[in-house]
Amino acid sequence: MNTLATSLDTDAAARRARAWPRRLPLAAAVLALFGWLLWSVSARQALLLLVGVGLGGVLAGARFGFTTGWRVLVEQRDPSGVYGQLLLLALLSALSMPLLARFPETTAALGPLSVSLLVGAFVFGLCMQIADGCGSGTLYKAGLGVPLNMAILPLFALGSFAGSAHLNGWLALGALPPVGLVTSLGAGGALAATGVALALLALGVGLWSGQRLHLGRLPRRWLWGALGLALLAALNLLIAGQPWGVVYGFGLWAAKAATALGLFDPAANAFWSDPGHAERLSQTLLLDVTSITNIGILAGALWVSARRPEPPRPLTSAQWAIGLLAGFAMGYSSRLAFGCNVGAMVSGISTGSLHGWLWVPLAFAGTLVGLRVRRRFGF
Amino acid sequence: MQGTTMRRWAFWLLLTGFVAWDFASSAPVNLRLEPPLITAGSGSPASGGHCAMPK
Repeated sequence: MNTLATSLDTDAAARRARAWPRRLPLAAAVLALFGWLLWSVSARQALLLLVGVGLGGVLAGARFGFTTGWRVLVEQRDPSGVYGQLLLLALLSALSMPLLARFPETTAALGPLSVSLLVGAFVFGLCMQIADGCGSGTLYKAGLGVPLNMAILPLFALGSFAGSAHLNGWLALGALPPVGLVTSLGAGGALAATGVALALLALGVGLWSGQRLHLGRLPRRWLWGALGLALLAALNLLIAGQPWGVVYGFGLWAAKAATALGLFDPAANAFWSDPGHAERLSQTLLLDVTSITNIGILAGALWVSARRPEPPRPLTSAQWAIGLLAGFAMGYSSRLAFGCNVGAMVSGISTGSLHGWLWVPLAFAGTLVGLRVRRRFGF
Repeated sequence: MQGTTMRRWAFWLLLTGFVAWDFASSAPVNLRLEPPLITAGSGSPASGGHCAMPK
């Protein structure tokens, strides 16, 4: 046993030593970008870049996959990933809700309760299993160098742009105004209601899987992953004044490209002609909050990949085609659902938005179908 | 592993090129209108875009 442990320690030390020559240029590049943002763009954006690098590092380092967590719960009755996610939601709610109540400048991730939310969350949950990554998963796996996720990223952006351009049409099918628990119940009431709901979910997961939540038995990567993500997401709320998001940045990138190519007239579109979105279209994306954290997440994951290079898994042509299609649909549906696992589930629930609580069961129902499709195509 | 390294380089070169093109073609940054370093407590409301926004 001691020989095995010594051998594993030696391997880990060797991997660390091999990673540094790759990490030093990356650290220099991130520091250079940080300094340039500080000098030429905005100190806030420079700070948010570092928050994004941290988020990417934790997501990739802990392998904190929302998609995988749901999949192993359904297929193997292993609840550890879902328990990690519930822990993240509880910790982040405890940090975010008092911040929202204390600082009127901060905003919750409030999405309307709409037909589009129901459709979008279901389709997103289905497609994320095929594409093997949600919004944050696609980002950090692209940063790790996984070929399918690198190829999906531009299609996700295109889908997100198309979804935002069609959003007003979808909202016309029926929508109720957003409901914010912090506004309705105060921080204490919202936190208590969220805590009870999360505890009930943990109880249900425990009954179904036959493994009750026990923090001592949870793999440590889920524990430190939940803690790291909660702290960094709360920092995002404090610095940017808004919760962590992923999808908006993608849509903005594709909207900028489509506008520059003369394929899209933002002034003729209900969503993109809104003064706030129109202003962000005219500004550099380096001033956009979600764009800068997205770039940081990619860099943070690349940092982790220097230590653990991933051999790519070969895919057939059919798997590539269905994976790329799922990537586009995921981008489109995430806009209809007012967020992905990050924007709607993590940020929605932790800031007391009722739309996050509607998103979860619909996305989970979609996941059940998505797992069948995944098996059908041999992923 | 060589293929992975090449793909990563291509990905980052494309991303860097896109960001550089965007910076060059967008309106110049007005440093006098820089947002507050920490929005919470600054008196300025959050102004960024978010995917939960219907508008």
